[in-house]
Amino acid sequence: MSATAALRVKSIVTSRPFLTVLVVAIVWIGASFASRGFGAYGHLRYIVELAAVIGLVAAGQTFVVIAGGIDLSVGAIVTVSAVGLPLLSMDADPTGVSAIVIILACTTAIGFVNGVGVAWLRVHPMIMTLAMATFLQGLLIIIAGGSAVSAHNPLVAWLGNARPLGIPAGIWMWLVVSVGALYILHATPFGARLFALGANPVATQLSGVDVPATTMAVYAISGLLSGLAGVLALGMNGQGYVGIGDPYLLASIAAVVLGGTSILGGSGTYAGTIPGAVLLVTITALITVVNASPGWRSILFGSLILILLLLSGREAARR
Amino acid sequence: MSEAISSARPSGAALYWAVQLRRNRGVRVLFGVDALLLIAYAFLFPGLLTLSGFAKFTQSWFPLALVAMSQAVLMLAGGISLAIGASVSLGAVIAATTMAGPFGVVGGTAVVVLSGLVIGAATGGIVVKLRLPAIVVTLAGSFIIGGAALLVLPRPGGAIPAWLSDLLAGNLPVAFGLLVVIALLWKLYLATPLGLSLYAAGENPVGAFRSGVSVDAARIAAFAISGVLAALAGLFVAAQTGSGDPLIGQAFTLNSIAAAVLGGIGFLGGRGTMRGALAGSLLLSVMINVMFFLGFTPVAQYIAQGLIIIGAVAIPQIRERLA
Repeated sequence: MSATAALRVKSIVTSRPFLTVLVVAIVWIGASFASRGFGAYGHLRYIVELAAVIGLVAAGQTFVVIAGGIDLSVGAIVTVSAVGLPLLSMDADPTGVSAIVIILACTTAIGFVNGVGVAWLRVHPMIMTLAMATFLQGLLIIIAGGSAVSAHNPLVAWLGNARPLGIPAGIWMWLVVSVGALYILHATPFGARLFALGANPVATQLSGVDVPATTMAVYAISGLLSGLAGVLALGMNGQGYVGIGDPYLLASIAAVVLGGTSILGGSGTYAGTIPGAVLLVTITALITVVNASPGWRSILFGSLILILLLLSGREAARR
Repeated sequence: MSEAISSARPSGAALYWAVQLRRNRGVRVLFGVDALLLIAYAFLFPGLLTLSGFAKFTQSWFPLALVAMSQAVLMLAGGISLAIGASVSLGAVIAATTMAGPFGVVGGTAVVVLSGLVIGAATGGIVVKLRLPAIVVTLAGSFIIGGAALLVLPRPGGAIPAWLSDLLAGNLPVAFGLLVVIALLWKLYLATPLGLSLYAAGENPVGAFRSGVSVDAARIAAFAISGVLAALAGLFVAAQTGSGDPLIGQAFTLNSIAAAVLGGIGFLGGRGTMRGALAGSLLLSVMINVMFFLGFTPVAQYIAQGLIIIGAVAIPQIRERLA
């Protein structure tokens, strides 16, 4: 009895999500000693608030990667959401809910088209989503014309600024999405199908799973969550502009991998991606504290990701 | 007896051409599309058929061809790089800062090639020896290499000797000649033991390893070659513009993947040919030129490019399923 309990404790302690949380804690404590203001509650809360946007994008990315794909259009979808939403605001709807619903429907549809390309046209996910990103970039220049657009949407502004119970609304939203994502991944048949699909698509197909439908659903989820991240980014920034979503593409992939999800699909959990997103924002904050030139900042960021990868993402040896 | 056996087998040359013919099967359509687009382009812009017109066209294609080859080597060996754009930028700024210095053009070129070789081999070593996924390592690598480019040259500047710019990007098709030379060198490389193991390492690493192929060496060599090709593309881009720009390579990462995949290089390694990758890059290059001459706005070019890439990849798949 105690032996199995010890085994369970050991498996939790050596699990990737736990280790990633540990790394975050160590970095936070170390940074607080080095820089006085870093460990202040307000600053740490700000870090988590920034991580919420990455976390939302990375939630969709986690779904896609576990199912054996990759979504390189998330950055463009975030931009579409943040730039498109202000253009949709209608005077007839003072709450601003309708604009959010419409833009989320649009980004879900974009994700769905990605899924159609991957599942039906059998285009490789990397090519399909890259081509989609190129396509959306062209579209954005048409609709936004290159200038920044401000949101006059009360709900978006509330999301960006409100603090129910002292916690930013964005973090609440991330919390809700996280619980939902974890539930879907680990407690529903749909989640089980994703892991199977990522591990062995042929066997999954032969087991009677509707692989095309599952694939389309996965990319649609990624589109929906990227759209949601765009709404939050718009709220926090106050305005949307072409390129607002660009940083989130690489950050989402890095967060997924740092969280212990295999980039090859079939294994992983969103529980690791959450601290992975916090870790990325922490690294960025640390580099800002160092006050280095852009070149050094970029080198530091890349090197730290590489070091963290070494601690985590090793593939099995060839035998 | 032995004579009977040898006469029953096809001769070495016949076998070689039979294999080549089979390999070309997948890219026949692509070659046809390339030819049609080139003819259309020559109609729109008859200057293409003059020497300087041909030179200008091949110069606009050359860097894309190099990065397509750079990506294709990796993909054949079962890898991929998201750092090609950053490597192009680094090659460009190194060329622009060293060539005007005391080492001259020869020294500058040597530094560019060496940096590409070292960075590529180091990336390969990390991916292969530390067993990390290539896509994430090169993602982190793109930050490091891009940062290094910013350190070498924080803002566009530097200089390339005018005679070199004239030679590479002038009115003579020197760049096309270089491309032919590089393609021949690639053929030679595939004939060496290390080059021969490239396809095996990409197609079935475990099987190749068990058959005694040095899979690790083949893959690290592929990364090194890829690094050199990307850095050379940077050198050429710098020669074209006459100076270095630390951000000039960014668009090349995606274009290199698109060109390689259009050319029939498989994502899982071991599938495809370098001539396919070159044809894929030619398609992208002619497409951009033709759309420009037809008066498409840059926005429409983006959209058309996205659609054509998806179409070119999807149509063979659909046809295969219908057959």
